[in-house]
Amino acid sequence: MPEMNLVQAIQSALAVTMRADPDVVVMGEDVGKLGGVFRVTQGLLDQFGTDRVVDTPLSETGILGTAIGMALHGMRPVSEIQFSDFIYPGFDQLVSEASKYRYRTAGEFHVPLVVRTPYGGGIRGGQYHSQSPESLFIHTAGLKVVCPSNPFDAKGLLIASIRDDDPVVFFEPKRVYRAIKMEVPEETYEVPLSEAKVVRPGEQVTCVAWGAMLYEAYAAAEEASDQGVDVEVIDLRTLWPVDLDTIVASVEKTGRFVVVHEAPQTCGFGGELVARVIEKAFLHLQAPPRRVTGFDTPFPLTHEREYLPLAKRILPTLMETARF
Amino acid sequence: MQVIRDDGTLDPNLDPGLSVDQVVALYKAMVRTRVVDDRLERLQRQGRIAFHVGSLGEEAAIVGSAAAVRDQDWIVPCYREVGALLWRGYPLQRYVDHMYGNAGDPIHGRQMPDHTFSKAHRYLSVSAPIGTQIPHAVGLAWAAKKRNLDECVAVFFGDGATSANDFHAAMNFASVFQTPTIFLCRNNGYAISVPTEAQTATRTLAEKAAAYRMPASRVDGNDVLAVWRAVRAAVARATQGGGPTFVELVTYRLGGHSTSDDPRLYRDPDEVDAWTRADPLLRLQKHLHHRGAWHTALEADWRKACSAEMRECVRVAEETPAPALETVFSDVYASRPAHLIEQQARALAAHNPDREGS
Amino acid sequence: MTDLEFKLPDIGEGVTEGEIVEWFVTVGDALQEDDPMVEVMTDKATVSIGAPCEGRVVALRFEVGQVAQVGEVILVLTPSDKAGIDRAKRSSRPSATAVGELHDSLPGAQLFATADRSSRATVSEEPEGAHFAHKPLATPATRALAKEKGVDLRRVPPTGAGGRVTEEDVLAAADADTGQAPADPRDAQGSTSAPDPREERRPIVGIRRKIAERMARAKATAAHFTFVEECDASALVDVRRKYDLEASRQGVRLTYLPFVVRAVTDALARHPALNSAVDETTRELVYKKYYNIGIAVATDAGLVVPVVKEADRRPLLDLASEIERLSSAAREGSLRPEDLRGSTFTITSLGRQSGLLATPILNHPEVGILGVHRIKERPVVRDGQIVVGRVMTLSLSFDHRVVDGHVGAAFAYDVIETLEDPGRIATGFLP
Repeated sequence: MPEMNLVQAIQSALAVTMRADPDVVVMGEDVGKLGGVFRVTQGLLDQFGTDRVVDTPLSETGILGTAIGMALHGMRPVSEIQFSDFIYPGFDQLVSEASKYRYRTAGEFHVPLVVRTPYGGGIRGGQYHSQSPESLFIHTAGLKVVCPSNPFDAKGLLIASIRDDDPVVFFEPKRVYRAIKMEVPEETYEVPLSEAKVVRPGEQVTCVAWGAMLYEAYAAAEEASDQGVDVEVIDLRTLWPVDLDTIVASVEKTGRFVVVHEAPQTCGFGGELVARVIEKAFLHLQAPPRRVTGFDTPFPLTHEREYLPLAKRILPTLMETARF
Repeated sequence: MQVIRDDGTLDPNLDPGLSVDQVVALYKAMVRTRVVDDRLERLQRQGRIAFHVGSLGEEAAIVGSAAAVRDQDWIVPCYREVGALLWRGYPLQRYVDHMYGNAGDPIHGRQMPDHTFSKAHRYLSVSAPIGTQIPHAVGLAWAAKKRNLDECVAVFFGDGATSANDFHAAMNFASVFQTPTIFLCRNNGYAISVPTEAQTATRTLAEKAAAYRMPASRVDGNDVLAVWRAVRAAVARATQGGGPTFVELVTYRLGGHSTSDDPRLYRDPDEVDAWTRADPLLRLQKHLHHRGAWHTALEADWRKACSAEMRECVRVAEETPAPALETVFSDVYASRPAHLIEQQARALAAHNPDREGS
Repeated sequence: MTDLEFKLPDIGEGVTEGEIVEWFVTVGDALQEDDPMVEVMTDKATVSIGAPCEGRVVALRFEVGQVAQVGEVILVLTPSDKAGIDRAKRSSRPSATAVGELHDSLPGAQLFATADRSSRATVSEEPEGAHFAHKPLATPATRALAKEKGVDLRRVPPTGAGGRVTEEDVLAAADADTGQAPADPRDAQGSTSAPDPREERRPIVGIRRKIAERMARAKATAAHFTFVEECDASALVDVRRKYDLEASRQGVRLTYLPFVVRAVTDALARHPALNSAVDETTRELVYKKYYNIGIAVATDAGLVVPVVKEADRRPLLDLASEIERLSSAAREGSLRPEDLRGSTFTITSLGRQSGLLATPILNHPEVGILGVHRIKERPVVRDGQIVVGRVMTLSLSFDHRVVDGHVGAAFAYDVIETLEDPGRIATGFLP
């Protein structure tokens, strides 16, 4: 089995899906000749030609709006938005159109669209190359939101997303695009949507994270373990619809809940998870659920490592929660 | 461009050569649309439906365009084009049920009235944000091209939409990728209260197409044959691989923007009077009289028939109950996720407390 | 005949009232459906409203110039056609989306209308015998336990942080209530034996749980063998005494431990197998090219093992002060996470009650551990004479899976030789 990083795994997912299904097309800014600014689509143009790997004009509205049209015709477009920070011109198309088409036509039409977009900080990207806007899309009924942390999941989740009949916003953790390598099958496989994964079993605190922050949560959990606190770490993988059962089962065991995300705290997805944990597992709680998140500020450059909820910020929260 | 002259005769150079029967069919569809419209507006005033957005005065632009595209072609509506959907044979009862949001409404009362669609009639779904449908039409046409299908896509939008982001993105994509898309700009003079001359600094809307190197025409939108001719030419270009076409249909919104609007607050009555005299139905009626294919008795019979049909649909719609509350929770996703199952259970319990105990 | 009460509809997406501008009908007029009845001016538009059915006007409820609320009856009709009668007979809501019921559907609309609203809430009375906080502090889990045990939290003396009632408090209170030992909630999942009132159960948590797991894992994984030998510490005692005062002038307390650490790092350099760890997942022996020495420290909470990083590179006095810092931090519970990580070999100082010999358990996944016994005066034979010697016993355990007996012994003797001749530490001449 070959070793792949995230970029290669996503590339592989696109290639195997495009080979199997002529309705899958890749479109976006610089995705063709250049292979994308992160080279995720490198080589696809040579394999599949300009009809299926399309360098589009520079318009997120156009990329997403025309992709919705293609999807309404029965194709399965995979649109790339170069940075999630630049998704907002196309926001209306996702929020007003892609998400609602099935509902407003009672299923006569649906939009099997995947929007791939790199997100997150830690690459010296400042406020316009670092954002984590996942909660905006989670808030929108009708969209699915996926965020893999590692190459194996990235490939399996992307294939599942492309095959899914609903629109999926697929956030790619660009900070770990090339940092994580693992064995990834060359062939097609799916990692099912809406299934979270316990990546580190533990007994005393439940810690939920996704994407690049999973590694920080894991590092903090290991450090907590050295200090005698046993943390269970859950990789959410699909953010919406969320696998609440896995989280609640864990909190029923540990009685303690910490959620980590890069996005700003206020109205971030962490708040929603805390609310649901309280609703579902209130009588099991031994400590107040906590969030470790980005600040309620635009994303800074020089102090990005302070802004990000890195292990050094997660650890004290884990310890305080464990010893509450 | 004008085909039907003011005296009801045709410009022989521009006559698209439609048979009398075809023209009568167009006329009858336009009258039916107006009768339906008129009735719906009255129903709204009486509080029997919540809202209506009509097409008074724009019937030629709408029905003429719908008639000019072929059966396999798609129509992407803005929101005033139910006349096009009815032209394609959509059942009137289903439309009226939709206006009532009752159990017969195909979307279970999920949308405001006048948000129609039908896959069977190759007619996409109306949505309220302005211009968002235009890129869909380009994508739809692009898909047809990629799949080597002989289909083109006609998309309606108003004069106001030409200011929207989505319009420009769509024009650009269509031109760059040469998609078989027909941009039908229904210039009815107003975006709610803002007149076209305050919407744009260009003299016409058609000239905007030049910036995208897209062929364009500007026709009298109250002249159903001119509309038909221009749109049919665009279909021919699209199907021959000539890419997109922009057609500006110059017309006038004789009514309010919707039932929530009062156009007397911003329009000069003289202007409205002038356009009332340019009513597309009167123009076509004159032409048919000229051809000897229509007379007053036929007119009265047809209006009566349309009225009776509408009255019966309203009767049925008013007797049809509201859709089941469960329908609120379906079709959000292909299958219902856990959180929606839970919310549905709570909603049902609150809606009918007895049900919980049973 | 059923009359139809015509209510002012919401004619403009959220309009709440309308002024009657003109009546086109009077009482007694016969109307056809859609005949104009009234002109109404709202916030959004002035519109003419037509008759909903054929009929005769029975009453006008508003004068011109008056304002009617949406949903108020403005006119009453006696319908003459069947459809109108049916509509009049049907509920006030004639269709799925028909408007005119705004006030019915906005029950809180009077919120800002009344100035004087007195609270209807009453203060609940305190239960009899409530001694403690009116609103006791407790986590949800504790509250759940209290509920299960039938314990009123307001009567429970809190012993937890910040005046909080703990689970133990609840169990004690339940015990006092019933005169019996509290049932252990864990019994349901684990042991099924009945609680014995002569026993007290305490959960194994925190550091204790960590110790329990680590020790069990070490014992279950490594194949321990223990090697014990004596060391003549006379010279070492002399050296320490000689420099003790000078060291204390520099603020360092000179113990024997830094000498032991140095002897160990020197010996590890010669026996790399002992500075290694077993990677259980890959079944590899990982040779560490750095020397971080774990120092086991007993604390009130249990055993912790802070680590002297790069011990081989530190001068003796630096070793001494680092060991001192780590030991006191361990006892105060102020160790930093990095103080606890990365040891490659562990020394456990067995203290005053160190006994004759010990069988130390490895600090998993390390492969060697050295237990240092207290230096004692003992009879030793030197040059054929029995003299009073100062003897330090060393108890070493090794993982026999990767450390052969003779390798472990050779390592032990290297450590002993250095300790017996501290000059080697000063000169760097290794045994």
